[in-house]
Amino acid sequence: MSAPDSAILTDGDLKGTNLDGLKARPLRARRLTTVYVYEAPVRLWHWMTAAAIVVLAATGYLIGSPPPSLSGEASSHFQMGWIRYLHFAAAWIFAVGFAGRVAWAFMGNVYARELFFIPFWKLEYWKELLDEVLVYAFVKKHAKTVVGHNALARTALFFCFTLTGLFMIVTGFALYSDGTGIDSWEGHVFGWIMPWLGGNLSTHFLHHWGMWVIILFVMIHIYTVSREDIMSRQSLISAMTNGYRTFRDDRPD
Amino acid sequence: MTIQTPNGFSLDNAGRRIVVDPITRIEGHMRVEVNVDAQNIIRNAVSTGTMWRGLEVILKGRDPRDAWAFVERICGVCTGCHALASVRAVEDALDIRIPTNAFLIRQIMAKVLAWHDHVVHFYHLHALDWVNPVNALKADPRATSALQQSVSPDHPKSSPGYFRDVQNRLKKFVESGQLGIFKNGYWDNASYLLPPEADLMAVTHYLEALDFQKEIVKIHTILGGKNPHPNYMVGGVPCAINIDGDMAAGAPLNMERLNFIQQKIQDAFEFSKNVYLPDVLAIASYYKGWLYGGGLAASNLMDYGDYPTVQGDKSTDRLPGGAIIGGNWNEIHPVDPRDPQQVQEFVTHSWYEYGKGREDVGLHPWDGVTDPHYALGAGAKGTRTNIVEVDENAKYSWVKAPRWRGHACEVGPLARYILAYAKGVPYVKAQVDDALGRFNSLAGTALTPQQALPTTIGRTLARALEAHYCAQQLLDDYDALIANIRNGDLATANVSKWDPSTWPKEAKGVGIVAAPRGGLGHWIRIRDGRIENYQCVVPSTWNGGPRDARGNIGAFEASLLGTPMSNPEQPVEILRTLHSFDPCMACATHVMAPDGEELARVTVR
Amino acid sequence: MAVLETFYDVMRRQGITRRSFVKYCSLTAAALGLGPEFVPQIAHAMETKPRTPVLWLHGLECTCCSESFIRAAHPLVKDVILSMISLDYDDTLMASAGHQAEAILDEVMEKYHGNYILAVEGNPPLNEDGMYCIIGGKPFVEQLKRVASGAKAIISWGSCASYGCVQAARPNPTQATPVHKVILDKPIIKVPGCPPIAEVMTGVITYMQTFDRLPELDRQGRPKMFYSQRIHDKCYRRPHFDAGQYVEAFDDEGARKGYCLYKVGCKGPTTYNACSTVRWNDGVSFPIQSGHGCIGCSEDGFWDKGSWYARLQDVSGFGIEASADKVGLVAAGAVGAGLAAHAAISALSRVRYKGDDAQ
Repeated sequence: MSAPDSAILTDGDLKGTNLDGLKARPLRARRLTTVYVYEAPVRLWHWMTAAAIVVLAATGYLIGSPPPSLSGEASSHFQMGWIRYLHFAAAWIFAVGFAGRVAWAFMGNVYARELFFIPFWKLEYWKELLDEVLVYAFVKKHAKTVVGHNALARTALFFCFTLTGLFMIVTGFALYSDGTGIDSWEGHVFGWIMPWLGGNLSTHFLHHWGMWVIILFVMIHIYTVSREDIMSRQSLISAMTNGYRTFRDDRPD
Repeated sequence: MTIQTPNGFSLDNAGRRIVVDPITRIEGHMRVEVNVDAQNIIRNAVSTGTMWRGLEVILKGRDPRDAWAFVERICGVCTGCHALASVRAVEDALDIRIPTNAFLIRQIMAKVLAWHDHVVHFYHLHALDWVNPVNALKADPRATSALQQSVSPDHPKSSPGYFRDVQNRLKKFVESGQLGIFKNGYWDNASYLLPPEADLMAVTHYLEALDFQKEIVKIHTILGGKNPHPNYMVGGVPCAINIDGDMAAGAPLNMERLNFIQQKIQDAFEFSKNVYLPDVLAIASYYKGWLYGGGLAASNLMDYGDYPTVQGDKSTDRLPGGAIIGGNWNEIHPVDPRDPQQVQEFVTHSWYEYGKGREDVGLHPWDGVTDPHYALGAGAKGTRTNIVEVDENAKYSWVKAPRWRGHACEVGPLARYILAYAKGVPYVKAQVDDALGRFNSLAGTALTPQQALPTTIGRTLARALEAHYCAQQLLDDYDALIANIRNGDLATANVSKWDPSTWPKEAKGVGIVAAPRGGLGHWIRIRDGRIENYQCVVPSTWNGGPRDARGNIGAFEASLLGTPMSNPEQPVEILRTLHSFDPCMACATHVMAPDGEELARVTVR
Repeated sequence: MAVLETFYDVMRRQGITRRSFVKYCSLTAAALGLGPEFVPQIAHAMETKPRTPVLWLHGLECTCCSESFIRAAHPLVKDVILSMISLDYDDTLMASAGHQAEAILDEVMEKYHGNYILAVEGNPPLNEDGMYCIIGGKPFVEQLKRVASGAKAIISWGSCASYGCVQAARPNPTQATPVHKVILDKPIIKVPGCPPIAEVMTGVITYMQTFDRLPELDRQGRPKMFYSQRIHDKCYRRPHFDAGQYVEAFDDEGARKGYCLYKVGCKGPTTYNACSTVRWNDGVSFPIQSGHGCIGCSEDGFWDKGSWYARLQDVSGFGIEASADKVGLVAAGAVGAGLAAHAAISALSRVRYKGDDAQ
């Protein structure tokens, strides 16, 4: 990006545009740099996963604390059956999506890989992380512009989404093997996890805790993207819809 | 050196020391050491509980509603009686009154346990002290048949062919050379007195009882879901009743299940009437001269009383409580488990510590302290991990020594029966007089209850009588349950105080049960919805405990004194008398009061 | 010389004909991947093989496993101990005591070295040099190690031997330790449960005797034939679970109709055992049928996995009865409040920022 000294455009900058002839200053016109960050598969995956998480958390909570008992014959209801069915269906979507997202990390652009590791050994990462923390602590006004995720977002995503999501998939399939049997592929691939986590019931507890981690993450995620969308120097929500990240100023960092 | 104990026994440890470890055919682990004099008469006895599990430490801080399952695992033989004591203690602390159905169902479960426990104890844990299975091979099955018909004319299985089949099977077993559980038995010992036909009858009933004991527990399976270790719950029983409502067939307790229960109760009644009791009397009559093993039973006895017909009304106890001291059957002292001066535990000779300067004090269970402290006395032989002989002048057992107002007391069916007889409970009086009449006529003796009951045989007989009384009560309780249901009462649980937020900040309670081995008490303190302190004082602690600070000896040790051994190498007589108490050492030795600080010391390693 | 009763004799007495016996031998040969020429050898071995000696030791336990074992209905326990195995040592049932009892161990260990089965009920405590459980004046763990050394295989009866059970519940004051953590060099079959079902116990023994091999075990060392499915999967109340019909409180309408006990804490969905299929005491009932939820007694560490009556484990440090969901909701509330506060401060600073910007 070639950044001029001031972010606000001058009258001359408007020349040759549809705004030609208008006064730039009262318009507060700015140059907007737009980068294609989130490719279509990533966006599709994001919203699919978001929907899956909503279904998974809602049904998961109900599996732990079912709604009030229904009366009548068992044969006339299938409430818990549906709740569990939805949970498993959404879990499959989440899991397949996760796998696809891992694959896309290899196929997609550089930003597609940010979810899966943190540049632990790069000093810059730690500086940016501190910067973002200071912004959120209202110490600093603005952080650097970033094309992908900022360091704080990346850290939160890596731990609270990627690792927790992976944990939920692994424990989820392990628990699923309760029903399919220890000789099923789920049992063979994931069954070992349960004794390792202290047994079947403990795996349930941890899977349940994982839900709360993700719920808290989603709350913070929604807040921060909204906030960033309004207050930071780049767009976020629209970036996840059309894929383009727009920078509101061209100031140097 | 001869010493006189304050409770009237003389001990002499000068003679040859005999060690029996492990004592088998009991629950848990124990060891006994005796000294015999030149005539092979036991002059000193030392009983050591050889296991400790620390259950009450584990209970600290847990939900009182969960406690029953933990303490139930104290013992899988008297399974359920600790669970019952526990839910009673919690309900007492929280002032929960259970529905009448739940009261009756628990009564039924308790008596099924007592009946089962007594039968299994007599045939499978105790009989081989009296019965010689190898000798049964010499029997003429026709003689056995005749004996069977004379002692129990109503028992249908009495044909010579039936006994011959059993004998053939036994023969084949013995000839295989693999004697299994009979291996290394004392079959050549002169103390076995039964004629072959009686041995064959008893061995046959060993197998019959083995077959039937699994039937009576099915009542537990229906009411508690399984046996051993049926389920209990605070506030009532989990088995909801649905007789004729919607979906009754899938309910825990319905018409079919009730009929099942009634059938098994009837069968049990027949078994104790036609097999168990006649067997005890017949076998006892051959041992009429062997009236040893009384010990403490002749002087001090204690029970809290149980089996009321009206919930919460101790005056309706069908086996009333009390204490007899000094053998005076005419004066029965009231027993109050809440009185800090009455039930106390001592650890002077137990592998625990009460702290400096408090070695010799007795503590009431609500204020109990236990701090395990394993150490052998200076006079012990062997090493710390290879005990050759213990030193009874120091600490020598994992069992504490409970006392009632300072008195060592025997507890158990015999204590309950002597108390009930002395109090003149009509059913018990009739039962004892009838049984003694039959015994005297079989044996040609004229023993009075005072002579016959405080003996090893009396202990075994009291257990059989109590089993049959339980069968009778089961019939009555079943009728009462049906009558209550007929009146439209289907309630089985009171859940008004299920939620801990309804509980007081602090509460304490006591749960009392007439356990098969004697009076059982659980004491609980609850604080902020959690267990603050839990203490069990169990029958085998009373009977099997070591000496106390003043040197009083307990029931196990007292019962062995004065018994002649026909061959000191073979502990038949020791086993016979100890088994008559039906020791339950996992019960006796887990005893522990959790005080936070102890934990650190227990887990030093 | 005494006549040893062989496996063939036992089978004949079980009512199996000579013809079936030979057929059984050829099937066995086939199963072992051996040709027909081995059939006579197998038959010969069967005809001359004595009953397998079983040494049944007791550590820290409550004897509920032995009590369960004697409840066996098929086969009857008397047939097991008289005809199928040779129960040479079991302190709960054996006639002899003291050194005569201990002598049996030495004799069997020598005579049948490598060919006897060691059955363990209970577990060894390791604290206090093992002296929380003393046998013959010595720590039980010594006896266990000694007898295990010559055993062909070990059966860990019940949750004590398999996992530690109640005495190993927190804080495990005696350091009660399951058998497989003390004996490392022998095949161990875990038969968990507090106690295990009688017919499961005899089922494991008769399988080993009949097929002359160890049962196939799952990852945790339990026989797959009895422990590969949850109680929940074959529970007769499962339709009520799927329908959404639960017992909300004990003795409510649902309890009387036999609705699912999930909400009152039933651990059937997380417990591997045969209770809902084999059922208890000759198939009469099982805990759920009697109205109480499963407490999960065949699962590792079930004592420390929360109340019998709660679906979710209590979280210590959050006051009484704080379940994961309560903690989660409180956390979500706190985060929500935090975010709202943060948003408010952000909005204020944005106003300030706009002011800056306007200049």
